[in-house]
Amino acid sequence: MGEVIVVTSGKGGVGKTTTSANIGTGLAALGHKVVLVDTDIGLRNLDVVMGLENRIVYDLVDVTSGNCRLKQALIKDKRFENLFLLPAAQTKDKTAVNPDQMKLLAAELKEEFDFAIIDCPAGIEQGFRNAIAGADRAIVVCTPEVSAVRDADRIIGLLEAAELMNPKLIINRLRPAMVKRGDMMDIADILDILAIELIGVVPEDESIVISTNRGEPAVMDMVSQAGEAYRRITRRIKGEEVPLMNLDAPKGIFDRLKKLVGIR
Amino acid sequence: MTRTEHVAIKGTREGLVLYLDPTADFGLLMNELDKLLEKSVQFLQGATVQCFAGQKKYTKDEHATLSTVLGKYRLEHAGWLTTEEVYVPSKGQAFATEGKETHHWEDGMVEGSCLFVERTLRSGKSVQFAGHVVVMGDVNPGAEIIATGNIVVMGSFRGVAHAGATGDRNASVSAYYLAPTQLRIADLVTRAPDDQDDGRGPEIARIKDDQLVVDAVIMNGRRGKVR
Repeated sequence: MGEVIVVTSGKGGVGKTTTSANIGTGLAALGHKVVLVDTDIGLRNLDVVMGLENRIVYDLVDVTSGNCRLKQALIKDKRFENLFLLPAAQTKDKTAVNPDQMKLLAAELKEEFDFAIIDCPAGIEQGFRNAIAGADRAIVVCTPEVSAVRDADRIIGLLEAAELMNPKLIINRLRPAMVKRGDMMDIADILDILAIELIGVVPEDESIVISTNRGEPAVMDMVSQAGEAYRRITRRIKGEEVPLMNLDAPKGIFDRLKKLVGIR
Repeated sequence: MTRTEHVAIKGTREGLVLYLDPTADFGLLMNELDKLLEKSVQFLQGATVQCFAGQKKYTKDEHATLSTVLGKYRLEHAGWLTTEEVYVPSKGQAFATEGKETHHWEDGMVEGSCLFVERTLRSGKSVQFAGHVVVMGDVNPGAEIIATGNIVVMGSFRGVAHAGATGDRNASVSAYYLAPTQLRIADLVTRAPDDQDDGRGPEIARIKDDQLVVDAVIMNGRRGKVR
């Protein structure tokens, strides 16, 4: 019996899709059978981030409305045999699916997979309600901005109201240098308000932009800080105790050399 | 407090107030009063009592009987209260339908019905209550509490508060860490200063001379939030 994890945030653009792609790929790299589900109907992105958009034939709405079998809509990943994507429909909107259908789908996915990672759309309307309907656990993604924290707070309240207790927090796009200067909210400020368990901090990293554009999740990048952060998050999701990364370690000449050669 | 149907004794800062149900028969009232005092005689002995029975006027004989009953338990009858004295003027009728629980005495918000919220209020959550509200947790920015009475937060208050929402200027807002987005008491509105200093202790906001004033609350042995 697998587990359904929804990745959500309330606010758009904080990195839900990137996080979903990286967590899913990371779990697959550890040998689990994983499916990524894009519930952002009408604005699908996860297929692009995974580099799989040219293989889509059937989508989520086809499955929930019975146009095709689940197996037909699942797309196998390029890199991992045990990683699959269930893409969203691009030509419909959020009302094409309802929470009951999502619950049935989640139950079906749990039979087949160790982990189902659901990429939630921004907002708190039907798309959000669909995404959380079948979930067992929730991960809230938040950036160090007051607006993102405010929305994350609201989302946590809504998750708790939907009886998805103890959501976990990922702080994304943190810039240690700005925090040090006092120009950005630090981790303690965010935790003070949200008061939920932190399972990872991902630093702002150019490699994310590059890997997203290439359709290759950063978690496979053994050099970048963001890749390392996602690998640690993946292990924490499995229940391992992993210390938080030290983000403000000064980058000396040797570190740069190591980075060039590609060893850590 | 002993519960009887038509009489009640409540303590205020000015002493005891005896409430007589104006609609009840006088003989019945005296009967109940006798029973009530019998039970609580040691607790009350020697006190002075002011009486209140709404608009109802009693006869001379009835007054004498009342004084006798009170005297039997060594209580001194110290006169009658008017409706205006018992109810806070601006509220008066707003609470008349709420029953005895929500009477507000001259000194304001000392008792009444109370809502306990045993969790953190997150953004988007709104709590509205006719009475006092106590939150056992934080109130985050984007959340709001509207109460006709006082608001007490056993945590950080960063949301919007409106105490004394039906116009009671005696209402207060207190929190372990008071940094509301906006603070309203009765008809006054204020917001937190832009330069927020962290690490203050518990504070209470109330109206003094038509101004919303925030004071530190001294709690025994505790000095502010550990940060």
